[in-house]
Amino acid sequence: MQETITKTIDARGSFCPGPLMELVRAIKEIEVGQVIDLYSADEGSRRDIPKWIEKAGHELVEIREDEGFRHFIVKKGEKVRRRKRRGDSDE
Amino acid sequence: MSEKEHRIVVIGAGTGGTIVTNQLHKKLKKAKINYNITVIDPHFKHLYQPGFLFTMLGREKNENLVKDSRKMMPKSVNAMVDKVKIIDTKKKVVKTENGEDVPYDYLVLAPGSRLAFDAVDWWDDSIHHFYNPSGAENLRHALENFDKGTIVVSIADLPYKCPPAPVEASMLIDDYYRRKGKRDDVDIIYTSPLGRAFSIETTNTRVEPYLKEKDIELMTMFNADDVDTEERVIYSMEGEEVEYDLLVMVPPHRGQKFVIDSGLASGQGWIPVDKYTLEVENHPGVFALGDATNLPISKAGSTAHHEAPVIAENIRDLILKNQLTAKYDGHVQCFFLTEIGKSMFIDFDYSRPPKPSPTRRLWWYFKLMFKPLYFRMVTKARV
Repeated sequence: MQETITKTIDARGSFCPGPLMELVRAIKEIEVGQVIDLYSADEGSRRDIPKWIEKAGHELVEIREDEGFRHFIVKKGEKVRRRKRRGDSDE
Repeated sequence: MSEKEHRIVVIGAGTGGTIVTNQLHKKLKKAKINYNITVIDPHFKHLYQPGFLFTMLGREKNENLVKDSRKMMPKSVNAMVDKVKIIDTKKKVVKTENGEDVPYDYLVLAPGSRLAFDAVDWWDDSIHHFYNPSGAENLRHALENFDKGTIVVSIADLPYKCPPAPVEASMLIDDYYRRKGKRDDVDIIYTSPLGRAFSIETTNTRVEPYLKEKDIELMTMFNADDVDTEERVIYSMEGEEVEYDLLVMVPPHRGQKFVIDSGLASGQGWIPVDKYTLEVENHPGVFALGDATNLPISKAGSTAHHEAPVIAENIRDLILKNQLTAKYDGHVQCFFLTEIGKSMFIDFDYSRPPKPSPTRRLWWYFKLMFKPLYFRMVTKARV
């Protein structure tokens, strides 16, 4: 099923602060279950965006190739405070 | 000279407002356009904000970082000391707190961002920062009196001014304690919202080895969600926490309230502009630059510096040809300090990622020279 996009962010050409920071900023402004379409032309996004989404408990709905950039479709997840202490293992 | 007098109002007399005013004066005069410029600012105190890091270290005095913007502008400019209450974009009138109505044909918004300490419910005076003169001065006192424990340098919220500033602060605090002979007693932790220390990968490949070499602990993917200032713990959106004895945090930033009240922006108050022409969306003849925009690029003086001539040219060409011809290419340059006496230099635009820059003493001297250059040349649109 096609997700309804709540917010679109064109972060192409954003080297500093960068597409991931734009995503983090935007996700704070939407409600749980709403969806962001982030445009990024940065190769690093392919690696760091999925990694952050997993760590922060959101859902990566899709990565879609476009002409010279990618769409990262991200659904905001429930905020879970795990209260993990610095130095604790992930297990 | 054309008969009609074109009324231009510039809101804000910081880096963007001052440079755009001087650029407009130069370009409109050269084109023999009949114009007048009104600049509205609450105080016309122009701060050299990169200097706050030096205030923090006790290497600069705040009084040397402030000058009167009016002295950087042509005498013909009408400088109004006042706050904007609201802009009626239909009638093209700026209404001020003192009850003045200022009509315009073209409007430039350069009000900057504001430090919104109340944007989070946990900020209190025990959290230090270096984002205004008093914050930097208080932090200087705190560092002078802090000789043992853990210092955490973190970021309260996104976006914020000058993306390199917090990681620079971590490295300069390291330098400070090494010089004091107390580095072994002080742990320094830098929390980054990203998966690496700095957003630009090519620059990051130089930054992370420095952090390691300086024994600064790096916590990645850490976006502050809550701070318990009594227990001295920061909690992240990602479910982690870190304890501190002294917390240095970039405060939350927001756009100006009058911008939202005027219907020019929503949410956090960043003004949506065309990334090339810098014209505000759905508002022909209204432009914005610097920290106030929603562009996904650095909120930094350098950004405003490179945006200002684009707006001046576009206003000139709207008057002469009724078209927008100039385009901002996303150009930003910045120094990136790694310690006292050493700096990198970064230069990039929308289509050109920055190349790795060697860390050199030369860039440090340029950084020191930049303050007089800024007040004498940059703000006056001479470079």
